[in-house]
Amino acid sequence: MHGLLLLAGVSLLSFVLVELAPGDYFAEMRLDPRISEATVHALRARYGLDRPLPERYGRWLASLAKGELGYSFAYGQPVGPLLWPRLRNTLLLTVTATALAWLLAVPLGTWWATRRRGPADAALTGLTAMLLALPDLVLVLGLLLLAVRTGWFPTGGMVSLGHEQMPWGARVKDVAFHLVLPVAALVLGIVPALVRYVRASVADALGAPFVRAARAHGIPERRVLFRHALPAAANPLVSLFGLSLAGLLSMSLLVEVVMSWPGLGPLFLEAILARDFHLVLGPVLASTFLLLGGNLLADLLLAATDPRIRTEER
Amino acid sequence: MGAVAGMQARGRGLLVVAVALSASTALAQGAPSSADLLRSEHEVGRAGGRLVFALRSEPKTLNPVTAVDIPSKDVIGRLTADLVHIDRQTQRTAPALAKSWRVSPDGRHYTLELRRGLRFSDGHPFDADDVVFSFQCYLDERNGSPQRDLLIVGGKPVVVRKLDAYRVAFDLEEPYAAAERLFDANAILPRHLLEKAQQEGRLPQAWGLGTPPAEMAGLGPFRLKSYVPGDRLVLERNPHYWKVDRAGRPLPYLDEIMFLLVPSEDAQVIRFKAGETDLISRLSAANFTVLARDQVAGRYRLEDLGPGLEYSFLFFNLNTLDAGKLAAVSRKQSWFSRTEFRQAVSAALDRQGMARLVYQGRGTPLATHVTPGNKLWMNGTLPPPARSLSGARDRLGRAGFSWKDGTLQDGAGEAVEFTIITNASNASRVQMASIIQDDLRELGLRVQVVPLENRALLDRVFHSHDYEAALMALTSEDVDPNSEMNVWISSGPTHLWHLGESRPATPWEDEIDGLMHRQLVTLDARERKRLYDRVQALVAENLPLIPLISPNVLVGAREGLGNFRPAILDPYVLWNADELFWLPSADRR
Amino acid sequence: MSARVGRVAALALLAAVHLAALGAGFLAPYAPTAQNRTLPYAPPAPLRFVDAEGVFHLRPFVYAVTEQGSVTGAYAEDRRRAYPVRFLVPGAPYRFAGLPGHVHLFGVDEPARIFLLGADGFGRDQLSRLLHGAQISLFAGLMATVLSLGVGWLLGTVSGFYGRGVDAVIMRSAELFLALPWLYLLFAVRAMLPLSIPPARAFLLLVLVIGLVDWARPARLVRGVVLTARERSYVLAARGFGASDLYLIRRHISPQTAGLLLTQAALLVPQYILAEVTLSFLGLGVSEPVPSWGNMLADLQHYHVLASYWWMWAPGLALVPVILAYYALSEALSTR
Repeated sequence: MHGLLLLAGVSLLSFVLVELAPGDYFAEMRLDPRISEATVHALRARYGLDRPLPERYGRWLASLAKGELGYSFAYGQPVGPLLWPRLRNTLLLTVTATALAWLLAVPLGTWWATRRRGPADAALTGLTAMLLALPDLVLVLGLLLLAVRTGWFPTGGMVSLGHEQMPWGARVKDVAFHLVLPVAALVLGIVPALVRYVRASVADALGAPFVRAARAHGIPERRVLFRHALPAAANPLVSLFGLSLAGLLSMSLLVEVVMSWPGLGPLFLEAILARDFHLVLGPVLASTFLLLGGNLLADLLLAATDPRIRTEER
Repeated sequence: MGAVAGMQARGRGLLVVAVALSASTALAQGAPSSADLLRSEHEVGRAGGRLVFALRSEPKTLNPVTAVDIPSKDVIGRLTADLVHIDRQTQRTAPALAKSWRVSPDGRHYTLELRRGLRFSDGHPFDADDVVFSFQCYLDERNGSPQRDLLIVGGKPVVVRKLDAYRVAFDLEEPYAAAERLFDANAILPRHLLEKAQQEGRLPQAWGLGTPPAEMAGLGPFRLKSYVPGDRLVLERNPHYWKVDRAGRPLPYLDEIMFLLVPSEDAQVIRFKAGETDLISRLSAANFTVLARDQVAGRYRLEDLGPGLEYSFLFFNLNTLDAGKLAAVSRKQSWFSRTEFRQAVSAALDRQGMARLVYQGRGTPLATHVTPGNKLWMNGTLPPPARSLSGARDRLGRAGFSWKDGTLQDGAGEAVEFTIITNASNASRVQMASIIQDDLRELGLRVQVVPLENRALLDRVFHSHDYEAALMALTSEDVDPNSEMNVWISSGPTHLWHLGESRPATPWEDEIDGLMHRQLVTLDARERKRLYDRVQALVAENLPLIPLISPNVLVGAREGLGNFRPAILDPYVLWNADELFWLPSADRR
Repeated sequence: MSARVGRVAALALLAAVHLAALGAGFLAPYAPTAQNRTLPYAPPAPLRFVDAEGVFHLRPFVYAVTEQGSVTGAYAEDRRRAYPVRFLVPGAPYRFAGLPGHVHLFGVDEPARIFLLGADGFGRDQLSRLLHGAQISLFAGLMATVLSLGVGWLLGTVSGFYGRGVDAVIMRSAELFLALPWLYLLFAVRAMLPLSIPPARAFLLLVLVIGLVDWARPARLVRGVVLTARERSYVLAARGFGASDLYLIRRHISPQTAGLLLTQAALLVPQYILAEVTLSFLGLGVSEPVPSWGNMLADLQHYHVLASYWWMWAPGLALVPVILAYYALSEALSTR
């Protein structure tokens, strides 16, 4: 129930936000000297942009009810069919990257927490600092530059030119091959921050009184780490994991644009800038769903890892 | 006197009988069918192969009636054909689906003779009904076609009549100079596939990207093969195309054109360099320089085609403002509206520096809005712009400005300051604005550059008028002055510096209005040139737009691409896709 | 290295970085906006001690460079004349702590330029821009972090501590805040600001907005920790003794969230500094000609710059010690 309310709130407030921002989709047409003002007016009228806000919201809701998710001004067609095929590609990329990042960050961060003030500590500190200092786009372009110079990896796209003619196995390999660079870019973008969170939480837990007590009782260090410290460290990580699900659709936006990945990224970015508003709202709503799911999952996990938390009935 | 005009505008005074027909009639012997095929005069190539081209953004539609964005037009241009075509290299008109046309002496009636025996890419025959249907679609108000405005001549829509199966008449309300150039923008649609949609008012929704290829057909060299959302669009050779090469073999040569979606310029450059795409256009000068370094090793060839039709300019807000709401801007308009002020600003600008720093020397300083790329129409007598700070100071002094501690102030003692807005995502424009800011500081003017997101910028220029000065650029679609009509006539929708003028605000705007309207109805090409020369001189003197730079058109192609003849007119490299072919030396995948 | 030493080192590093930013006018040899149109993308000038004749000089010197041919970025040194580095030279005016000044730490005689970190596309000194840019970027990064963490901590604690209705309301609004397309709000805010306000001030206002709407993520994390903390036996015990809510939060709950907040802060500062890279592409960053690390890094995002002019990476490298310092500080503070 509260999910529905949230969706209503998000969509309504988004309408208001867009209303506040200057310019609309048809503004750019005015720059074409061959198009008259009357034509632009007629087009705005056709898409209902000249109507008051409540009416436009009503129209959008009606379209939502039909499963169209609104109507894209730029494409002149319903938003739904535009989103679905791209959604799949984006999720392929981001789910892979998120999974890989967590699989990498949790052991690495835990190990780092046990190696305080050594050469490994210094090296990891320096490396993560350097990765954090690079804007995402520079990271992506740098990887592309590497791909061009070495020829090891394709420089963009999701499949090779002759993909359709390949046998099934080769197709899977082809896609996996194209996944390498964008996934690497995403993982390098997420891991530095994530690994620091893991390290901080585990280090916190290792310093906690009950862990010290366990150690004092002569319980082996390995057992202390896995049985006592890790469960205690899980709390903020679980919240973080829940939040990271909400980013599944938007985290790869820039990477997709630069690596020409056929996902939501290029579509979404263009739609934001072009004020193709219904098209913007589609991914926003889908992200809201993921956010709700992620938060629910996080709350359940929190309760499961830490029995002391009493989650109230919703 | 009706004249058969294949190539107008070359004319000496009146329309001249050109022998364009000789090319098109003589060829029929080589072709197997009895169809009126057009014979190309260019190098004979080899059939086969695939060409890969990257698009900056996804085409939004494949519907020629509603398409406005560049990628859509790039693709649609390969799928369709028009009656009369502008040869992108000579910039003159040439026969296409119409093999010849006649103009009545008063310039109001055109009769087009269509090629016979042609077929759409689905095999359905083409005749005059398709032509009449197509123009009906473009003119239908319900369809909101951007081409519609071009087909309103003298306030009335062009009347299209079928004379017989292969002859069509076009009646214009008033004479319209170079009317045959209008045909270039209007692709001929298949009536048999679209008539139902048009009758039901669903034409704007027809031919979206998801439409199955079987439901589409055109008269272009290629037809749709497949579409993968967000990724690629594949065209295949149209077996029914109506052109043959010099040896009489059917065109096009290429089996396939693949359009890949590559949404950033940098990524396009990288993929071209990596050999994954075969052609690149709309290159920035900086990326051109980077690519040029590895030209030989990379097995590609870059070409600098010289100035194109894009002109960038600075302009001041001269709109009639609501003084209550925009009091600050409206006060500053007392400076902006002084011609001496604009002349002084123009004289203070280091256009050479802009061309060098922003365009790595691959740009031309402009004195007026017509670029040197427009060889047929540029007024060659105008002197190139020269920087003169002393000249600028003189002009300001004469207009009643003075200096106090190095700061320019007006007659009332107020310091002269203004902001320049420009498009934040266009690095070149921001750089130019930054240079202007620095240049004008030497004159004692305090200028602030405010890059804005593009829609926000357009909203200020076209809608709220809340700005002081703006730096923008326009690109003409065609070399002919008619395509600039809406910029220069005072009531035009693109009359940027003063929109919605009910009547000309200044004598020189009045004169430009008169000149533009006269050239529109003048059929004599030399007289038109004389009128348009005067328009250019008036712009150069009064500077409603202060012209800055025309960037060069920069393109590249993989080694071994035959008949590669890039042009400064849109679409730069793909316009002769029907003749492109791979030389045996090309190492193709 | 003990925690104490770590703390001192981190503070010293941070102080050094911020002092350098504050003293930018004096440390930088040129004004950050001074263009040299004949020197676009001039490479870093090496400090030399041995001249063309092989003679050693104690005072370092540089050679003047000139552009070769028409290709940008190709330069040759003119070895006929050496320009020794001079200290405490008069130059472009600047303001330091409100006072006007015109003496610079070092410089060379005209027409030579001393570009220790090379020049950008307008021939502006990268080092000068870097130092001046630090002022805006460091401040903006810190301000946004404090704002978002402050609001996030407050709401997260309240939400986790009181639970039930309060928790539901706060967490639902957090979800709302996480989901909305805020970019449009930024466009709207920019549109409402007058065009003529100084670029740095316009940008700081936008940063304020960003910090304020970005509380949901930290709130969510803090809430998770508070949920656990309030059920701990000593908290329950304290409550049993009649401790007030405020006391419980201050004495028992907040310390539990400190580690998390410090880690967050160390990560958020660079993140907010880098956020400007994207913002400047949308016209929401610090606008020309005022330098900031964000708009300098935005240049680096062009393929031709990335591939050709390695010295344009400088702002990225400058960010590394800042990140390290904040990290070390958060480490030192959380292991008291």
